[in-house]
Amino acid sequence: MHQSLIYYFLMQQTELIKGTLQTIILKLLSDHSRMYGYEITQKVREMSGGELVLTEGALYPTLHKLVAEGYLSTETENIGKRVRKYYKLTSHGNTTAVNKVDEFVDFVRVMSQILQINPQTS
Amino acid sequence: MELKKSQIDYIIADLNRRGLVYQPLQEELADHVCTTVEEKMEEGMRFMEAYRATLTLFGHEGDIEDIQQQTFYNTSSNKLAMINNYLKISYRNLVKQRFYSLINIAGLSIGLCCTILIALFVADELSYDRHHEKAGRIYRVATHLRFGGNDSHLAVCPAPFAEALMSEIPEVEVATRFRNWGTFLVKREAENFNENRVIWADPQVFRVFTIPLLSGDTGTVLTEPNTMAVSESVARKFFGEEDPLNQTLILNNHMNYKITGVYRNIPKNSHFHFDILLAMTGLDQSMDQLWLSNNFHTYFVMRPDADPEEVEGKINEMFISHAGPQVQDIMGKTYEQLMSEGVKAEMYLQALPDIHLKSDIDEEFEANGDIRYVYLFTAIALFILILAIVNFMNLATARSADRAREVGIRKVLGSLRSYIVRQFLTESVLVTAISILLAIVLTSTILPYFNRLAGKSIVMPFWDPVFWGFILVSGLLVGFLAGIYPAFFLSSFKPVTILQGKLSKGSRSSLLRSVLVVFQFSISIILIIGTAAVYNQLNFIQNKKLGFNKDQVIILEDTYVLGNQINAFRDELVRDPRILSGTVSSFLPVTNSARSNTTFWKEADKTLENSVNMQRWNVDHDYMKTMGLELVIGRFFSHEFPSDSGAVVLNERAAKQFGFDDPVGEEIYTFKFHPDNSVKEDEYERFRIVGVVKDFHFESIRENIGALSMMLSPSTGRISFKFDASEVSQVINLIQTQWKNMAPGEPLNYTFLDEDFGRMYQAEKKTGQLFSVFAVLAVIIASLGLFALAAFMAEQRTKEIGVRKVMGATMGNIMFLLSKDFGKLVIIAFLISVPVAWYGIRAWLQGFAYKDIPGVILYMGAGLVALVLAWLTVSYQSYRAASANPAQSLRDE
Repeated sequence: MHQSLIYYFLMQQTELIKGTLQTIILKLLSDHSRMYGYEITQKVREMSGGELVLTEGALYPTLHKLVAEGYLSTETENIGKRVRKYYKLTSHGNTTAVNKVDEFVDFVRVMSQILQINPQTS
Repeated sequence: MELKKSQIDYIIADLNRRGLVYQPLQEELADHVCTTVEEKMEEGMRFMEAYRATLTLFGHEGDIEDIQQQTFYNTSSNKLAMINNYLKISYRNLVKQRFYSLINIAGLSIGLCCTILIALFVADELSYDRHHEKAGRIYRVATHLRFGGNDSHLAVCPAPFAEALMSEIPEVEVATRFRNWGTFLVKREAENFNENRVIWADPQVFRVFTIPLLSGDTGTVLTEPNTMAVSESVARKFFGEEDPLNQTLILNNHMNYKITGVYRNIPKNSHFHFDILLAMTGLDQSMDQLWLSNNFHTYFVMRPDADPEEVEGKINEMFISHAGPQVQDIMGKTYEQLMSEGVKAEMYLQALPDIHLKSDIDEEFEANGDIRYVYLFTAIALFILILAIVNFMNLATARSADRAREVGIRKVLGSLRSYIVRQFLTESVLVTAISILLAIVLTSTILPYFNRLAGKSIVMPFWDPVFWGFILVSGLLVGFLAGIYPAFFLSSFKPVTILQGKLSKGSRSSLLRSVLVVFQFSISIILIIGTAAVYNQLNFIQNKKLGFNKDQVIILEDTYVLGNQINAFRDELVRDPRILSGTVSSFLPVTNSARSNTTFWKEADKTLENSVNMQRWNVDHDYMKTMGLELVIGRFFSHEFPSDSGAVVLNERAAKQFGFDDPVGEEIYTFKFHPDNSVKEDEYERFRIVGVVKDFHFESIRENIGALSMMLSPSTGRISFKFDASEVSQVINLIQTQWKNMAPGEPLNYTFLDEDFGRMYQAEKKTGQLFSVFAVLAVIIASLGLFALAAFMAEQRTKEIGVRKVMGATMGNIMFLLSKDFGKLVIIAFLISVPVAWYGIRAWLQGFAYKDIPGVILYMGAGLVALVLAWLTVSYQSYRAASANPAQSLRDE
């Protein structure tokens, strides 16, 4: 099977991918109580079987944006010799996470119909 | 595998060095990098190797800064707050540095005001004749004639030209003619008015040009003989609120013309402004089929897809096909033969929008503008603006030492370079914005004076979005231009150097600043020299020996209304001792009076070598005496010789062109003109030369004196009187009384010959005035800058001055010390500006056949003026510095 890598780069993202990045982060955080930046990149890589690479340039601006918009909150913890910053969902972020995932599922369903893709039989 | 404390510190420091300064991101990214490095080390890499690999993933500095930037944008929820912050700091800085802000704003406002004024002027000049719907396709046919060694360019064509254009050239949509006949006396009932914007026109005029009819029928207007169309203002003048349509006006007391149309006043920015259009069909001459006499202004509309050059070619072919046979008839030679002898008659097209600025040929309706002045003033506007911008840059960099500490602290506290740049740009844009507002106020205030100077009636186009667009764009541009250098210069400082206090020395001896001061003074000196040169030439014209006496001559216009009483009128007045002499002739040695050009032959043999093309002036016996002409040989016309009706007096130039050794007694020949303006091949008129007068400047000094002949023949358009200078008002009273007696109800118009003469050089005078205004402004701006710069320098050297004074330096020593640097710069500026000015003056004087080339003294004088101004400017500041009490300046040390 042909394996393609999808990179999340900074800036050059289309609106579509930008939107999905937020959804991915929100969904990950709704499944795990709290995560730090590096952990998120690793998790995404692991879950996608290495197909999706989240660059720092895409991740951190988005995380900070979500914080500024009130979906996420942060807490810092001293881990031995340095500080680590964890992100978690606020209650507002929680509902948004559910909505965004629903929205995305709908979107994929509709797009599949239009583009006549049957995900099951590929 | 966990990193050691030293390794973590290294990473944090290195990331910081790579531009990561945004605190919320700093720790987080460090953690991210550390974790990645740890992982890579677990796979077996050494620390540095792992760190490098991690950085490669990030993409080094560029991307780190991008992440930072993006994060910052994503989180700064309130951009307005940022701008507000910039503005607040800018405002505080301006207020804190009141003196410098004031100078900056004053200089920029003046500069911008000049720019706006000139932009308005240029826009107005460029807008001429663009209001016609078909403006881009309308052309005027002009004629280039070469005959008897004289070249002339005429804005007129033969009478049948327009008709032939329409019927023979398919690319011509419609053509129309004008025939100029000078001024007319116009009355409704009793009182005559002198109307000078009267013209004969074809009905097609309304189809070629966009001249909206307010009343009357487009289909029939001007189609009947003895009908006319008048402008709104003329209609109001004669009929007030009455309906002017189908009313009658009387021209020159005997022609009754019915009004069949009223049109909207022709806009100011048009190359003609006719108030009365007379139906061409009433003019016999318009039916002429003569192709060799040029009297009719001819305009046509070209089809949109036609190629002007091709059409021009076709028009010339058409002209030759008609004119050729007529040439053959009269000259007995074919057109080609004449061409080979050096005669030339060529038609060329002038695009309507180009006429105002690019055409200055014979028979123009009005004095046109000049594209060269448009260029010149645009250049001056730009230079003055640059002067003001340079002031801004100069002061900003000069004061960099003050601002450097601010920059250092900001940088240490983690400010990004781009924010410092933005801060400085905000400041310059703010200063520019204030200056623009002031400039607009200033411009509106002085616009009326400017209008008077430039002969315009420009209004501030406050309703015009283009104007505001121009203001906005130029404001931002100036703001950025003025701010960009200081912004990058200042923001590039390394915090460590600044805070160690090492910078102030560097800023004192800035090469760039010297270059800018030199630039400013070069421009000022060029403008001063230019102004002086223009006035020098004007003075030369005023005092030049003209060959006639322009003083104490009064000219009465439109004297033909006196009818056959004209000589009686003259004789009656000359009887008064205060009036020295009087002459009846329309031909005067100033432009705008009558002219008539004819070819003469030495013998009754029409070869080209024998021919001289010259002015033929109709004068009377007292012409020479009244105009103060000087006789070279022979005599002027005299009552003692009744045979003088067949005599001619030449000017020296004409005598020379004929090549007579002893002209008196020789005879010259010309065609006999029939009343209908036609000539026959074998009919001549013969004149015997009785005298030669010294050449006199009957045209502008821009031109060489041409050949001229004078004949005894009635020409009743004007009477000129030479009078006693001390009795001007009595003389005028006398003339008025006599006029009322003999021409009741007619308007009396008079001018003075010297005033008419002065009017010929209006353009030069205007240029001189505008030049001097802009030169003064440039000098003011440059001086303002120098003043502030000197103040700053003195301030910088307070301590040095204090020490010098304590050590025994005198006031004079210190003032010299402070002034000498600027003196040097002015001298360099002078050396640069002299060749530029010399070149410019030479180019300008090229337009004059007679000129006074400015000498060294003029240049030296201008340089001296600049030096003295600079010295005065600096000396105030240096005096203040030098007279300060050293105890004050040294106390803090």
